[in-house]
Amino acid sequence: MLDIGLAHYLVVSAILFVLGVFGIFMNRKNVIVILMSVELILLSVNLNLVAFSAQLGDLTGQVFAMFILTVAAAEAAIGLAIVVIYFRNRGSIEVEDISTLKG
Amino acid sequence: MIAGLAFYFFAFILIAAAVMVVTARNPVHSVIWLIAAFFNAAALFLIAGAEFLAMILVIVYVGAVAVLFLFVVMMLDVDFAQLREGVQRYAPIGAVVGGILFLELLLVLSVWRFAPDAAALRMAPMPEGVTNTEAIGRILYTDHIYLFQISGLILLVAMIGAIVLTLRDRPGTKRQDVGAQIARSSAVAMARPELGEGIRREDILRPLPPPAKEAPKPVTHEGGHH
Amino acid sequence: MTQPLLAQYFPILVFLGIAGGIALAMVGGSILLARQKPDAEKLSAYECGFAPFDDTRRRFDVRFYLVAILFIIFDLEVAFLFPWAVTLGDIGWLGFFSMMGFLFVLTVGFIYEWRKGALDWE
Repeated sequence: MLDIGLAHYLVVSAILFVLGVFGIFMNRKNVIVILMSVELILLSVNLNLVAFSAQLGDLTGQVFAMFILTVAAAEAAIGLAIVVIYFRNRGSIEVEDISTLKG
Repeated sequence: MIAGLAFYFFAFILIAAAVMVVTARNPVHSVIWLIAAFFNAAALFLIAGAEFLAMILVIVYVGAVAVLFLFVVMMLDVDFAQLREGVQRYAPIGAVVGGILFLELLLVLSVWRFAPDAAALRMAPMPEGVTNTEAIGRILYTDHIYLFQISGLILLVAMIGAIVLTLRDRPGTKRQDVGAQIARSSAVAMARPELGEGIRREDILRPLPPPAKEAPKPVTHEGGHH
Repeated sequence: MTQPLLAQYFPILVFLGIAGGIALAMVGGSILLARQKPDAEKLSAYECGFAPFDDTRRRFDVRFYLVAILFIIFDLEVAFLFPWAVTLGDIGWLGFFSMMGFLFVLTVGFIYEWRKGALDWE
Protein backbone atom coordinates (compact mmCIF):
# COMPACT_ATOMS: atom_id res chain seq x y z
CA MET A 1 0.00 0.00 0.00
CA LEU A 2 2.71 2.44 0.94
CA ASP A 3 4.96 1.26 -1.83
CA ILE A 4 4.46 3.84 -4.53
CA GLY A 5 4.43 2.44 -8.03
CA LEU A 6 3.54 3.50 -11.51
CA ALA A 7 -0.17 2.83 -11.00
CA HIS A 8 -0.43 5.41 -8.23
CA TYR A 9 0.98 8.09 -10.47
CA LEU A 10 -1.20 7.08 -13.38
CA VAL A 11 -4.34 7.26 -11.27
CA VAL A 12 -3.44 10.70 -9.93
CA SER A 13 -2.69 11.99 -13.39
CA ALA A 14 -5.89 10.48 -14.77
CA ILE A 15 -7.90 12.27 -12.09
CA LEU A 16 -6.08 15.50 -12.87
CA PHE A 17 -6.74 15.10 -16.59
CA VAL A 18 -10.43 14.45 -16.03
CA LEU A 19 -10.66 17.45 -13.74
CA GLY A 20 -9.14 19.60 -16.44
CA VAL A 21 -11.65 18.38 -19.02
CA PHE A 22 -14.47 18.88 -16.53
CA GLY A 23 -13.24 22.41 -15.88
CA ILE A 24 -13.39 23.23 -19.58
CA PHE A 25 -16.97 22.04 -19.76
CA MET A 26 -18.03 23.69 -16.55
CA ASN A 27 -16.57 27.15 -17.09
CA ARG A 28 -17.67 27.47 -20.64
CA LYS A 29 -17.90 31.22 -20.49
CA ASN A 30 -14.72 32.15 -18.70
CA VAL A 31 -11.72 31.92 -20.99
CA ILE A 32 -9.24 32.42 -18.18
CA VAL A 33 -10.46 29.41 -16.21
CA ILE A 34 -10.46 27.39 -19.43
CA LEU A 35 -6.80 28.27 -19.93
CA MET A 36 -6.11 27.21 -16.35
CA SER A 37 -7.84 23.90 -17.03
CA VAL A 38 -5.59 23.43 -20.05
CA GLU A 39 -2.63 24.00 -17.78
CA LEU A 40 -3.96 21.29 -15.46
CA ILE A 41 -4.28 18.88 -18.38
CA LEU A 42 -0.71 19.57 -19.47
CA LEU A 43 0.44 19.07 -15.90
CA SER A 44 -1.21 15.67 -15.79
CA VAL A 45 0.54 14.74 -19.02
CA ASN A 46 3.84 15.79 -17.49
CA LEU A 47 3.10 13.68 -14.43
CA ASN A 48 2.51 10.70 -16.71
CA LEU A 49 5.76 11.22 -18.56
CA VAL A 50 7.74 11.58 -15.35
CA ALA A 51 6.16 8.50 -13.82
CA PHE A 52 6.96 6.36 -16.84
CA SER A 53 10.44 7.79 -17.00
CA ALA A 54 11.05 6.85 -13.38
CA GLN A 55 9.56 3.40 -13.79
CA LEU A 56 11.53 2.49 -16.90
CA GLY A 57 14.70 4.32 -15.96
CA ASP A 58 14.55 6.21 -19.25
CA LEU A 59 15.38 9.89 -19.23
CA THR A 60 13.61 10.71 -22.47
CA GLY A 61 10.34 11.18 -20.62
CA GLN A 62 11.81 13.91 -18.47
CA VAL A 63 13.30 15.65 -21.49
CA PHE A 64 9.90 15.60 -23.15
CA ALA A 65 8.29 16.93 -20.01
CA MET A 66 10.75 19.83 -20.19
CA PHE A 67 9.67 20.60 -23.75
CA ILE A 68 6.03 20.36 -22.75
CA LEU A 69 6.68 22.89 -20.01
CA THR A 70 8.15 25.21 -22.64
CA VAL A 71 5.22 24.84 -24.98
CA ALA A 72 2.73 25.27 -22.14
CA ALA A 73 4.35 28.49 -21.02
CA ALA A 74 4.34 29.84 -24.57
CA GLU A 75 0.72 28.81 -24.96
CA ALA A 76 -0.27 30.54 -21.74
CA ALA A 77 1.55 33.71 -22.80
CA ILE A 78 -0.08 33.88 -26.23
CA GLY A 79 -3.49 32.77 -24.98
CA LEU A 80 -3.58 35.39 -22.29
CA ALA A 81 -2.34 38.04 -24.72
CA ILE A 82 -5.30 37.20 -26.97
CA VAL A 83 -7.64 37.41 -23.98
CA VAL A 84 -6.24 40.81 -23.06
CA ILE A 85 -6.62 42.37 -26.49
CA TYR A 86 -10.01 40.75 -26.95
CA PHE A 87 -11.14 42.29 -23.71
CA ARG A 88 -9.76 45.64 -24.80
CA ASN A 89 -11.72 45.53 -28.03
CA ARG A 90 -14.97 44.04 -26.79
CA GLY A 91 -15.09 44.57 -23.06
CA SER A 92 -15.93 40.95 -22.37
CA ILE A 93 -14.17 37.59 -22.23
CA GLU A 94 -17.13 35.33 -22.92
CA VAL A 95 -16.30 32.44 -25.18
CA GLU A 96 -19.56 32.76 -27.05
CA ASP A 97 -18.75 36.28 -28.16
CA ILE A 98 -15.50 35.09 -29.63
CA SER A 99 -17.39 33.33 -32.39
CA THR A 100 -17.69 36.73 -34.03
CA LEU A 101 -13.96 36.77 -34.71
CA LYS A 102 -13.10 36.60 -38.36
CA GLY A 103 -9.93 36.00 -40.29
CA MET B 1 7.46 4.36 3.84
CA ILE B 2 7.87 8.10 4.42
CA ALA B 3 7.94 8.60 0.68
CA GLY B 4 4.69 6.67 0.40
CA LEU B 5 2.99 8.78 3.04
CA ALA B 6 4.34 11.94 1.43
CA PHE B 7 3.02 10.78 -1.94
CA TYR B 8 -0.49 10.33 -0.60
CA PHE B 9 -0.35 13.65 1.21
CA PHE B 10 0.82 15.64 -1.81
CA ALA B 11 -1.42 13.77 -4.25
CA PHE B 12 -4.44 14.47 -2.08
CA ILE B 13 -3.66 18.18 -1.89
CA LEU B 14 -2.95 18.25 -5.63
CA ILE B 15 -6.33 16.82 -6.50
CA ALA B 16 -8.15 18.95 -3.96
CA ALA B 17 -6.45 22.04 -5.37
CA ALA B 18 -7.36 21.00 -8.92
CA VAL B 19 -10.99 20.61 -7.86
CA MET B 20 -10.90 24.09 -6.37
CA VAL B 21 -9.33 25.52 -9.55
CA VAL B 22 -12.25 24.46 -11.68
CA THR B 23 -15.01 25.14 -9.17
CA ALA B 24 -13.94 28.33 -7.38
CA ARG B 25 -16.34 31.23 -7.82
CA ASN B 26 -13.65 33.85 -7.94
CA PRO B 27 -10.95 33.44 -10.62
CA VAL B 28 -8.40 34.99 -8.26
CA HIS B 29 -8.99 32.04 -5.93
CA SER B 30 -8.66 29.74 -8.92
CA VAL B 31 -5.21 31.11 -9.61
CA ILE B 32 -4.16 30.71 -6.00
CA TRP B 33 -5.32 27.09 -6.04
CA LEU B 34 -3.48 26.61 -9.32
CA ILE B 35 -0.29 27.71 -7.59
CA ALA B 36 -0.96 25.18 -4.81
CA ALA B 37 -1.52 22.49 -7.44
CA PHE B 38 1.79 23.29 -9.11
CA PHE B 39 3.63 23.13 -5.81
CA ASN B 40 2.24 19.72 -4.99
CA ALA B 41 2.88 18.45 -8.50
CA ALA B 42 6.49 19.53 -8.02
CA ALA B 43 6.61 17.46 -4.84
CA LEU B 44 5.27 14.46 -6.76
CA PHE B 45 7.94 14.96 -9.42
CA LEU B 46 10.51 14.96 -6.66
CA ILE B 47 9.20 11.71 -5.22
CA ALA B 48 9.46 10.17 -8.69
CA GLY B 49 13.08 11.30 -8.86
CA ALA B 50 12.72 14.10 -11.42
CA GLU B 51 14.59 16.60 -9.31
CA PHE B 52 15.36 19.10 -12.04
CA LEU B 53 11.84 19.19 -13.43
CA ALA B 54 10.43 19.73 -9.95
CA MET B 55 12.58 22.80 -9.47
CA ILE B 56 11.80 24.10 -12.95
CA LEU B 57 8.12 23.63 -12.26
CA VAL B 58 8.42 25.78 -9.18
CA ILE B 59 10.52 28.43 -10.90
CA VAL B 60 8.66 28.70 -14.18
CA TYR B 61 5.12 27.85 -13.23
CA VAL B 62 4.75 29.19 -9.73
CA GLY B 63 7.09 32.07 -10.39
CA ALA B 64 5.99 33.15 -13.81
CA VAL B 65 2.96 31.47 -15.37
CA ALA B 66 0.75 31.70 -12.29
CA VAL B 67 1.76 35.32 -11.81
CA LEU B 68 0.82 35.97 -15.42
CA PHE B 69 -2.61 34.46 -14.82
CA LEU B 70 -2.99 36.54 -11.70
CA PHE B 71 -2.05 39.66 -13.66
CA VAL B 72 -4.68 39.00 -16.28
CA VAL B 73 -7.39 38.18 -13.77
CA MET B 74 -6.67 41.35 -11.85
CA MET B 75 -6.23 43.40 -15.00
CA LEU B 76 -9.60 42.67 -16.54
CA ASP B 77 -12.39 44.15 -14.50
CA VAL B 78 -14.89 41.60 -15.69
CA ASP B 79 -18.12 40.84 -13.92
CA PHE B 80 -17.17 37.32 -12.90
CA ALA B 81 -20.51 36.51 -11.38
CA GLN B 82 -22.09 36.93 -14.77
CA LEU B 83 -19.55 34.57 -16.30
CA ARG B 84 -20.73 31.78 -14.04
CA GLU B 85 -24.30 31.91 -15.26
CA GLY B 86 -24.25 28.74 -17.32
CA VAL B 87 -22.46 26.64 -14.72
CA GLN B 88 -25.55 24.82 -13.50
CA ARG B 89 -26.44 24.01 -17.07
CA TYR B 90 -23.01 22.85 -18.15
CA ALA B 91 -21.83 21.06 -15.00
CA PRO B 92 -23.89 17.87 -15.57
CA ILE B 93 -22.62 17.54 -19.14
CA GLY B 94 -19.07 18.08 -17.94
CA ALA B 95 -19.53 15.55 -15.16
CA VAL B 96 -20.90 12.95 -17.57
CA VAL B 97 -18.11 13.46 -20.10
CA GLY B 98 -15.48 13.52 -17.38
CA GLY B 99 -16.90 10.42 -15.73
CA ILE B 100 -16.90 8.50 -19.00
CA LEU B 101 -13.36 9.62 -19.71
CA PHE B 102 -12.23 8.58 -16.25
CA LEU B 103 -13.86 5.17 -16.56
CA GLU B 104 -12.17 4.64 -19.89
CA LEU B 105 -8.82 5.63 -18.46
CA LEU B 106 -9.28 3.20 -15.56
CA LEU B 107 -10.28 0.49 -18.03
CA VAL B 108 -7.09 1.04 -19.97
CA LEU B 109 -5.09 1.16 -16.76
CA SER B 110 -6.45 -2.14 -15.50
CA VAL B 111 -5.49 -4.29 -18.48
CA TRP B 112 -2.38 -2.48 -19.57
CA ARG B 113 1.13 -4.00 -19.23
CA PHE B 114 4.63 -3.08 -20.27
CA ALA B 115 5.84 -4.77 -23.43
CA PRO B 116 8.26 -7.58 -22.52
CA ASP B 117 11.12 -5.89 -24.34
CA ALA B 118 10.35 -2.42 -22.94
CA ALA B 119 13.60 -2.29 -21.00
CA ALA B 120 15.57 -2.98 -24.17
CA LEU B 121 13.77 -0.25 -26.12
CA ARG B 122 14.81 2.56 -23.83
CA MET B 123 16.25 5.55 -25.67
CA ALA B 124 18.33 7.00 -22.88
CA PRO B 125 18.80 4.74 -19.84
CA MET B 126 19.48 6.68 -16.68
CA PRO B 127 23.20 6.75 -16.03
CA GLU B 128 24.45 5.74 -12.62
CA GLY B 129 26.22 8.11 -10.33
CA VAL B 130 25.29 11.45 -11.85
CA THR B 131 22.67 13.90 -10.71
CA ASN B 132 19.36 14.22 -12.45
CA THR B 133 20.24 17.64 -13.84
CA GLU B 134 23.49 16.36 -15.28
CA ALA B 135 21.83 13.33 -16.80
CA ILE B 136 19.25 15.54 -18.51
CA GLY B 137 21.90 17.94 -19.73
CA ARG B 138 23.83 15.14 -21.39
CA ILE B 139 21.02 14.26 -23.75
CA LEU B 140 18.92 17.43 -23.98
CA TYR B 141 21.29 19.43 -26.17
CA THR B 142 22.77 16.73 -28.34
CA ASP B 143 20.37 13.82 -28.77
CA HIS B 144 17.34 16.08 -28.88
CA ILE B 145 18.92 18.97 -30.70
CA TYR B 146 16.06 19.48 -33.17
CA LEU B 147 13.43 19.61 -30.46
CA PHE B 148 15.63 21.96 -28.51
CA GLN B 149 16.01 24.35 -31.42
CA ILE B 150 12.29 24.16 -32.16
CA SER B 151 11.51 25.04 -28.57
CA GLY B 152 13.73 28.07 -29.00
CA LEU B 153 11.71 29.04 -32.06
CA ILE B 154 8.48 28.53 -30.14
CA LEU B 155 9.72 30.87 -27.46
CA LEU B 156 10.63 33.38 -30.17
CA VAL B 157 7.15 33.14 -31.65
CA ALA B 158 5.60 33.59 -28.22
CA MET B 159 7.73 36.64 -27.56
CA ILE B 160 7.04 38.31 -30.88
CA GLY B 161 3.38 37.33 -30.76
CA ALA B 162 2.91 38.84 -27.35
CA ILE B 163 4.59 42.06 -28.46
CA VAL B 164 2.61 42.31 -31.68
CA LEU B 165 -0.66 41.59 -29.90
CA THR B 166 -0.40 43.79 -26.85
CA LEU B 167 2.04 46.58 -27.67
CA ARG B 168 0.33 49.61 -29.08
CA ASP B 169 1.99 52.81 -30.00
CA ARG B 170 0.47 55.62 -28.10
CA PRO B 171 0.98 59.07 -29.59
CA GLY B 172 2.95 61.57 -27.62
CA THR B 173 5.26 59.21 -25.86
CA LYS B 174 8.73 60.51 -25.32
CA ARG B 175 11.50 58.09 -26.00
CA GLN B 176 15.20 58.46 -25.82
CA ASP B 177 16.93 58.16 -29.16
CA VAL B 178 20.53 57.65 -28.27
CA GLY B 179 21.78 57.83 -31.83
CA ALA B 180 20.14 61.20 -32.50
CA GLN B 181 21.42 62.48 -29.20
CA ILE B 182 24.97 61.65 -30.01
CA ALA B 183 24.78 62.85 -33.60
CA ARG B 184 23.42 66.25 -32.57
CA SER B 185 26.08 68.93 -32.88
CA SER B 186 24.94 72.43 -33.87
CA ALA B 187 22.05 72.86 -31.45
CA VAL B 188 24.32 73.34 -28.47
CA ALA B 189 25.28 76.91 -27.59
CA MET B 190 28.03 77.66 -25.19
CA ALA B 191 27.46 80.55 -22.77
CA ARG B 192 29.56 82.16 -20.13
CA PRO B 193 27.26 83.34 -17.30
CA GLU B 194 28.17 85.69 -14.52
CA LEU B 195 29.38 83.94 -11.45
CA GLY B 196 26.53 83.14 -9.08
CA GLU B 197 23.76 84.26 -11.42
CA GLY B 198 23.38 81.40 -13.76
CA ILE B 199 22.08 81.59 -17.24
CA ARG B 200 18.39 81.14 -16.62
CA ARG B 201 16.01 83.27 -14.62
CA GLU B 202 12.66 81.56 -14.01
CA ASP B 203 13.58 79.07 -16.64
CA ILE B 204 13.90 81.72 -19.33
CA LEU B 205 17.13 82.09 -21.12
CA ARG B 206 18.32 85.65 -20.63
CA PRO B 207 19.77 87.32 -23.63
CA LEU B 208 23.47 87.23 -23.42
CA PRO B 209 24.95 90.58 -22.34
CA PRO B 210 26.61 92.45 -25.13
CA PRO B 211 30.33 92.13 -25.12
CA ALA B 212 31.77 94.95 -23.01
CA LYS B 213 34.58 95.79 -25.27
CA GLU B 214 36.02 94.64 -28.41
CA ALA B 215 37.56 91.34 -28.16
CA PRO B 216 41.26 91.44 -28.71
CA LYS B 217 42.24 90.43 -32.10
CA PRO B 218 43.40 86.89 -32.22
CA VAL B 219 47.06 86.69 -32.81
CA THR B 220 47.78 85.23 -36.11
CA HIS B 221 50.84 83.37 -36.97
CA GLU B 222 51.10 83.61 -40.65
CA GLY B 223 53.36 81.09 -42.06
CA GLY B 224 54.18 79.86 -38.61
CA HIS B 225 54.02 76.33 -37.51
CA HIS B 226 51.41 75.43 -34.98
CA MET C 1 10.08 3.64 -7.36
CA THR C 2 11.55 5.35 -4.32
CA GLN C 3 14.68 7.24 -5.16
CA PRO C 4 17.82 7.41 -3.05
CA LEU C 5 17.99 11.16 -3.56
CA LEU C 6 14.84 11.58 -1.49
CA ALA C 7 16.87 11.15 1.68
CA GLN C 8 18.51 14.47 0.90
CA TYR C 9 15.12 16.13 0.73
CA PHE C 10 13.92 14.73 4.01
CA PRO C 11 15.00 17.85 6.00
CA ILE C 12 12.86 19.95 3.67
CA LEU C 13 9.89 17.73 4.38
CA VAL C 14 10.50 18.10 8.11
CA PHE C 15 10.81 21.84 7.64
CA LEU C 16 7.54 21.94 5.68
CA GLY C 17 5.83 19.95 8.40
CA ILE C 18 7.07 22.23 11.15
CA ALA C 19 6.22 25.39 9.21
CA GLY C 20 2.74 24.13 8.40
CA GLY C 21 2.20 23.03 11.98
CA ILE C 22 3.23 26.37 13.40
CA ALA C 23 1.13 28.29 10.90
CA LEU C 24 -1.91 26.14 11.60
CA ALA C 25 -1.38 26.45 15.35
CA MET C 26 -1.17 30.23 15.14
CA VAL C 27 -4.17 30.78 12.91
CA GLY C 28 -6.25 28.03 14.51
CA GLY C 29 -5.32 29.13 18.01
CA SER C 30 -6.32 32.70 17.37
CA ILE C 31 -9.59 31.54 15.89
CA LEU C 32 -10.35 29.23 18.80
CA LEU C 33 -9.12 31.26 21.74
CA ALA C 34 -9.73 34.89 20.85
CA ARG C 35 -13.12 36.43 21.33
CA GLN C 36 -14.59 37.23 17.93
CA LYS C 37 -16.92 40.20 17.70
CA PRO C 38 -16.82 41.27 14.08
CA ASP C 39 -18.68 44.33 12.89
CA ALA C 40 -18.73 46.18 9.61
CA GLU C 41 -16.13 48.70 10.72
CA LYS C 42 -13.69 46.05 11.89
CA LEU C 43 -14.06 43.97 8.78
CA SER C 44 -13.54 46.82 6.33
CA ALA C 45 -10.21 47.22 4.62
CA TYR C 46 -7.87 49.30 6.69
CA GLU C 47 -6.16 51.93 4.66
CA CYS C 48 -4.26 54.20 7.02
CA GLY C 49 -7.38 55.35 8.75
CA PHE C 50 -9.40 56.67 5.83
CA ALA C 51 -11.94 54.94 3.66
CA PRO C 52 -10.53 53.08 0.64
CA PHE C 53 -10.38 55.27 -2.44
CA ASP C 54 -11.81 52.78 -4.90
CA ASP C 55 -12.21 49.15 -5.80
CA THR C 56 -9.24 46.81 -5.75
CA ARG C 57 -10.20 45.43 -9.12
CA ARG C 58 -9.12 48.17 -11.43
CA ARG C 59 -7.73 47.99 -14.88
CA PHE C 60 -4.03 48.60 -14.95
CA ASP C 61 -1.71 49.16 -17.79
CA VAL C 62 -1.15 46.40 -20.30
CA ARG C 63 2.56 47.07 -20.22
CA PHE C 64 2.88 45.30 -16.88
CA TYR C 65 1.47 42.28 -18.61
CA LEU C 66 3.96 42.56 -21.45
CA VAL C 67 6.82 42.65 -18.98
CA ALA C 68 5.43 39.53 -17.29
CA ILE C 69 5.28 37.65 -20.61
CA LEU C 70 8.81 38.60 -21.52
CA PHE C 71 9.87 37.48 -18.06
CA ILE C 72 8.38 34.01 -18.69
CA ILE C 73 10.27 33.66 -21.93
CA PHE C 74 13.61 34.55 -20.42
CA ASP C 75 12.85 32.48 -17.34
CA LEU C 76 12.55 29.43 -19.57
CA GLU C 77 15.71 30.38 -21.39
CA VAL C 78 17.57 30.40 -18.08
CA ALA C 79 15.93 27.10 -17.13
CA PHE C 80 17.45 25.57 -20.25
CA LEU C 81 20.82 27.03 -19.38
CA PHE C 82 21.18 25.18 -16.05
CA PRO C 83 21.74 21.61 -17.30
CA TRP C 84 23.86 22.96 -20.12
CA ALA C 85 26.15 24.74 -17.68
CA VAL C 86 26.44 21.62 -15.53
CA THR C 87 27.34 19.28 -18.39
CA LEU C 88 29.26 21.53 -20.72
CA GLY C 89 32.36 19.40 -20.31
CA ASP C 90 30.59 16.24 -21.46
CA ILE C 91 28.52 17.33 -24.42
CA GLY C 92 31.26 18.68 -26.64
CA TRP C 93 31.05 21.22 -29.41
CA LEU C 94 27.68 20.02 -30.65
CA GLY C 95 26.11 20.79 -27.29
CA PHE C 96 27.90 24.11 -27.14
CA PHE C 97 26.75 25.26 -30.56
CA SER C 98 23.28 23.86 -29.99
CA MET C 99 22.90 26.23 -27.06
CA MET C 100 24.48 29.06 -29.05
CA GLY C 101 21.85 28.60 -31.75
CA PHE C 102 19.11 28.63 -29.13
CA LEU C 103 20.52 31.77 -27.58
CA PHE C 104 20.86 33.38 -31.00
CA VAL C 105 17.19 32.79 -31.78
CA LEU C 106 16.15 34.31 -28.49
CA THR C 107 18.54 37.21 -28.97
CA VAL C 108 16.82 37.96 -32.26
CA GLY C 109 13.58 38.23 -30.30
CA PHE C 110 15.25 40.35 -27.68
CA ILE C 111 16.58 42.80 -30.28
CA TYR C 112 13.13 42.92 -31.85
CA GLU C 113 11.46 43.81 -28.58
CA TRP C 114 14.12 46.38 -27.82
CA ARG C 115 13.69 48.04 -31.21
CA LYS C 116 9.92 48.01 -30.87
CA GLY C 117 10.23 49.77 -27.54
CA ALA C 118 8.47 47.05 -25.57
CA LEU C 119 10.89 47.61 -22.71
CA ASP C 120 10.54 51.40 -22.67
CA TRP C 121 8.49 53.00 -19.98
CA GLU C 122 7.53 56.28 -21.60
